[in-house]
Amino acid sequence: MTALRRYPVLAALCLAALFMVVPFVVVALNAVKSPTEYSQNGPLSLPDGLYLDGLKDFWERVDYSQKLVNSVLISGCVAVGAAVLSVLNAYAIGIGRIKGRTWVLAFFVLANMLPQEALVYPVYYLSKQAGLYDTRLSVIIVFTVIQAAFGTYLLSSVLGRFPREIIEAARIDGASRWQVLWRIVVPVSRPTIGVLLVFFFIWTWNEFLLPLVMLISNDNQTVSVALGVLQGQRLMDATMTNAAALLGVLPALVFFLVFQRTLTRGIAVGAVK
Amino acid sequence: MLTTRRRVVASAVILTGSLLLTSCGGSDGGSSGDGKTLKLWHYEAPNSAMGAAWNEAIKEFEASHPGVKVKYEEKSFEQIQKTAQMVLNSSDTPDLMEYNKGNATAGLLSKQGLLTDLSTEAAKRGWDKKLSAGVATTSRYDAQGVMGSGKWYGVPNYAEYTMVFYNKDLFAKYKLAEPKSVDELTAAMDVFVKNKVTPLANAGAEYLAQQYLYQLALSQADRSWVDSYELYKGKTDFHDQAWTYAATTFADWVKKGYIAKTSSGTKAEEAGVSFIQGKAPILFSGSWWYGRFQDEVKFDWGSFLWPGSNLTLGSGGNLWVVPKNAKNKELAYDFIDITMSKKIQNLLGNKGGVPVAADASAVTDPKSQQLITNFNTLSGRDGLAFYPDWPVPGFYDVLVSETQKLITGSATPDAYLDALQKAYDNGVPKK
Repeated sequence: MTALRRYPVLAALCLAALFMVVPFVVVALNAVKSPTEYSQNGPLSLPDGLYLDGLKDFWERVDYSQKLVNSVLISGCVAVGAAVLSVLNAYAIGIGRIKGRTWVLAFFVLANMLPQEALVYPVYYLSKQAGLYDTRLSVIIVFTVIQAAFGTYLLSSVLGRFPREIIEAARIDGASRWQVLWRIVVPVSRPTIGVLLVFFFIWTWNEFLLPLVMLISNDNQTVSVALGVLQGQRLMDATMTNAAALLGVLPALVFFLVFQRTLTRGIAVGAVK
Repeated sequence: MLTTRRRVVASAVILTGSLLLTSCGGSDGGSSGDGKTLKLWHYEAPNSAMGAAWNEAIKEFEASHPGVKVKYEEKSFEQIQKTAQMVLNSSDTPDLMEYNKGNATAGLLSKQGLLTDLSTEAAKRGWDKKLSAGVATTSRYDAQGVMGSGKWYGVPNYAEYTMVFYNKDLFAKYKLAEPKSVDELTAAMDVFVKNKVTPLANAGAEYLAQQYLYQLALSQADRSWVDSYELYKGKTDFHDQAWTYAATTFADWVKKGYIAKTSSGTKAEEAGVSFIQGKAPILFSGSWWYGRFQDEVKFDWGSFLWPGSNLTLGSGGNLWVVPKNAKNKELAYDFIDITMSKKIQNLLGNKGGVPVAADASAVTDPKSQQLITNFNTLSGRDGLAFYPDWPVPGFYDVLVSETQKLITGSATPDAYLDALQKAYDNGVPKK
């Protein structure tokens, strides 16, 4: 009986998984095709043999290793910085219960919903004034703030339900606020913070508009900006674009696989409670 | 357990801290005006005609300027489009940059005072003599940023124009000759339709569809019609004979099956690929496809100018512009001069581009010769009529969406022209 009820769910899941995987497969297929093959047989045909020149040419053309370093540097700094900032903010709002916290939270949500197009000019002028235009630091600062806005919102509601007894017990034992934060709150909510770290990393990795505007020199560019080089004014190089997309996606994928356990644990913790 | 975790955290903190520190020193401030480096940006792929020619020009430049280094960076089209104003306003500008021609792009920058006036250099170095009048239209902008007159703000190395690409093998299969008139063209298309082949490759979601329409209108028009439409030298009435002919003929062609109804949502890339695969026998589009067709098309193909029309779409190519804040302007002028030299121009022609100042005899590839001969015919009769979306900012999207309605049949030609008139009148600069 339960098996009967399970099969439709399983079938639906398989179908959904297929839909998720198909675009990726198409990208991978076309990444190893020669341009002529693509033009002759269309995007869905199977490649005859591996054609890796697209991957290789793209790597050399945009100096991909440099872009990888930039992307890892920016995403890594943002992930760590935003997570630290979120924890500090959320501690004040969720556990410290400061006055007017609903307003502060509403402000953070608002900041999070602001479209990035609206940020372009202000950020451009500010960074020019501060002498940070065309530096990776400017992008790190901007995204740390943006991601921390979301992180603060999320963590505040998690910490709002933090068992008060534990904190009170710690206070009675003579722990300072600082000790409560680092010895009690952070270790207990470590899974949630882990999830935030992974999300921040991947989101920042995929950011396009602000890095495009702020990172002018090729030496400072990120992976997603480098992919744009292939989209010409009127023509596109389809196979090389696919090769590049594959290269662009892989690092984020690897990162996800490495931290997958943290992710599931974080979600599971939320589910049990 | 606890200590290892702590150690991991501590090393992570140290790592990010040091990374942050190194990232502070990211900007090297760019080149100063020492006359030793030329900072050059463009967005042509290295295997395109322009990319190959300009690579050669860089070598030539470094050979003739000992001690000077060219600091070249390949940019994406989108990045230059989106950030040009911001970059040119900062101190990180390049010395020389490729930029899109037209009122909304180079015209706008010149109006904002972000570009250097090249008039004296153009006269001194003879660039103005090398470029034909039609090609030079997009190099000059007046105080309002309107092209066609005023000072020189850019120099194009190449030109572009539209033509009919056709599949000779398919034409031979149905015993058809190269059409010399519109009647012969429609007769050929009738044969294809009878044999269940959609003759025209079209892309309703992008520029192709509106270019068919504009070409149809141009076949009924003359230079003064173009001047009033593109350069605002008169009143444009979309219900005149030319536009009415274009809209009704286009709708008629969809009805007759020359253009597929399903093409309302397709992209230019798909249309091009359907021609390369030999599915669509005819593609009407620009010279920018030429190099790719030379590389990838397996069958015998040819090209001709739209029959029975003196005018066709086209213009000078993208421009070399020198930013106002550039630090090595003299080097930038020298570089432009090299790209205008016979050697580089001939190379551009042999790679499948349309050079503006080449020796037709020095271009040896037969297909490229045909491309250049057609262009010379065209520029000899002053036949470059620009593009339909140029006169009004945002007109491209209007043209795409309205032409889609014409393809699906949800708008009559009359309603179509009304919609265009409204958008055009709203956007045209008031004098």
